[in-house]
Amino acid sequence: MAGLITDWTTLADDQLVNDSNLPDWLKAKKQQAVAQLKTLSVPSRKLEYWRYSDANRLALKGGEASPSSLESHPVSIANDGVEQVVIKLNDNGFTVSDNCPGSVRISPINAIDESRWLDLDMNQETVANLANTACFMHGVSVECSAALEVNLVFEYDYKFDEQWRYVRNQINVDTGAQFSVEERFNSGQVNVVNVYDLQRGSVVNRHQMANLSDAQNLISFNQFELSAQAQLNSTNQHLGGSLQHHLHRVNFNGNQAVFKMGTVNKSINNNNIADLVEVNHNKKSNQSDVTHRSIADGASQIFTNAKAFVAVGADESEIEQDLKNILLSPDAKIFSKPELEVYADEVVAAHGSTIGALDDQSLFYLQSRGIDIKQARAIMIESFEQEALL
Amino acid sequence: MLKIDNVYASAGDKEILKGLSLEVKSGEVHAIMGPNGAGKSTLGNLLAGMPYVQSQRGEVEYMGKDLLELEPEERAAEGVFLAFQYPVEIPGVNNMYFLRTALNAQRKYRGEEPMDSAQFLRMVKQKIKDMNMRDDLLKRPVNVGFSGGEKKRNEVFQMGVLEPKLAILDETDSGLDIDALKIVADGVNQLRAPDRSFIIITHYQRLLDYIKPDFVHVLADGKIVKSGPKELALELEEQGYGWLNN
Repeated sequence: MAGLITDWTTLADDQLVNDSNLPDWLKAKKQQAVAQLKTLSVPSRKLEYWRYSDANRLALKGGEASPSSLESHPVSIANDGVEQVVIKLNDNGFTVSDNCPGSVRISPINAIDESRWLDLDMNQETVANLANTACFMHGVSVECSAALEVNLVFEYDYKFDEQWRYVRNQINVDTGAQFSVEERFNSGQVNVVNVYDLQRGSVVNRHQMANLSDAQNLISFNQFELSAQAQLNSTNQHLGGSLQHHLHRVNFNGNQAVFKMGTVNKSINNNNIADLVEVNHNKKSNQSDVTHRSIADGASQIFTNAKAFVAVGADESEIEQDLKNILLSPDAKIFSKPELEVYADEVVAAHGSTIGALDDQSLFYLQSRGIDIKQARAIMIESFEQEALL
Repeated sequence: MLKIDNVYASAGDKEILKGLSLEVKSGEVHAIMGPNGAGKSTLGNLLAGMPYVQSQRGEVEYMGKDLLELEPEERAAEGVFLAFQYPVEIPGVNNMYFLRTALNAQRKYRGEEPMDSAQFLRMVKQKIKDMNMRDDLLKRPVNVGFSGGEKKRNEVFQMGVLEPKLAILDETDSGLDIDALKIVADGVNQLRAPDRSFIIITHYQRLLDYIKPDFVHVLADGKIVKSGPKELALELEEQGYGWLNN
């Protein structure tokens, strides 16, 4: 574990020497990240963001991928009839299906225009995400310039072995543009950073799906920059895995923008899922609405945190945080934390968090109609999940 | 059909039923009335198999089987239906899906073929029309956002679809306006049949203006203290329950 920083910096240094495709400005960014990494320590329970995650799992070597231990499939989200443009990310780079419309430009992340690149503010809490900036070797830059009836699908198809894959994607959405994005993590050992830059009036419907087997790990950092009147609707379904650690950071950079997020975290065996949302209301009249539904069984552990920061002068901000959790076994643990830090006067804010078991009365209601207890529990869990799906 | 013999039962650590006996034959409608806390809902919950209600002694024989030995879902598949006093909300699960799941679970238990979507849709559409209810009920999540009356109507509609042999209505009339009361009562009356029995738990005589019972029983302090014809309900309406203590 102590060698994790060394592992990251060694990997990054090797890339800097051997990757001839890196433009000089990006090399400089990576060198900066390596220098910062060397000043930081490895993630541990002393950090707020890792307090309830087993950071030792970052250093574990992956084993054979086993079938998911999940008893039920994730609840499906209807996206019928919308054309899918598929970006497959794998060890050879990436491929794009040949139906990509002309108003969507997809290129390797290394080829992104320097003016489009967004620097991320990383610190000790986000050291595992900073490692991505130093080490990323794959990823794409997507530029969308029109309102489209298209679902852009990122499929992560990396070979499952002992190596982590570091992937960085940046999605730039021009003024008034509109489309859907789906991120599907089905396998691998992935550390990913996704940066979404939404210009004025643009709308993105995003769906992140991670359905992992017991040996797999996923670290994701998702930053959303929202200009005036932009809207991001984001649904996350995080199921299984050994370690899943997700951080979503939202910056309101203009007025009257909307961020809606619904997340389902479902942890069945010895899974460890952390799902953290930071929403920065930097400007006036923005709305954020965060709903989490988490379910833990066996000896699994979930940490769910929604934090909203409202800056001085960011009046007329509207914030809602709704975190509900169900424990299915005596050994499962859930830590649930809504947080508001408000420095403006005129703010409407509501937050709540509950942890409990499945409601006995509801289970009995289903049984009394002829449904056996196992199916009744499955229906109740599905019903609970549906509350978070946008 | 149903023979309850000297049953004692508790809800949590409180003994509620104290030697209750009742016999219901096929096709009969029995009304159970009584003061608050007498044990009326506990009786309904005991018959439907609510885990919180535990029998201490006594026997319940239903269609030749020991009812208390069966799981709640087995009782349902055997034809026992409880219309809840407070139907629960199940967000994200629409009525149609819920009812088809329930019906096919019962059919599976009875060794019957499952009903496919098309057959089921035809059947429920006909039922909802026959019962004079609105078909948007089918698409909505179970009881979510329903008014009190809609919830009770939904209970009766479920009863119509599942076609039980023994239906227990636990204060289905409470919270209903006159129009809703008529719809609910019509739904029940349509289901009356020689091989189907009803136990109607109610506080008020007015429901019995629309659903004519064969027998009225007064439940007080955990047992039936008086039984009689439907006129007994009128007597209770006029005089309350106090005179029974004399």
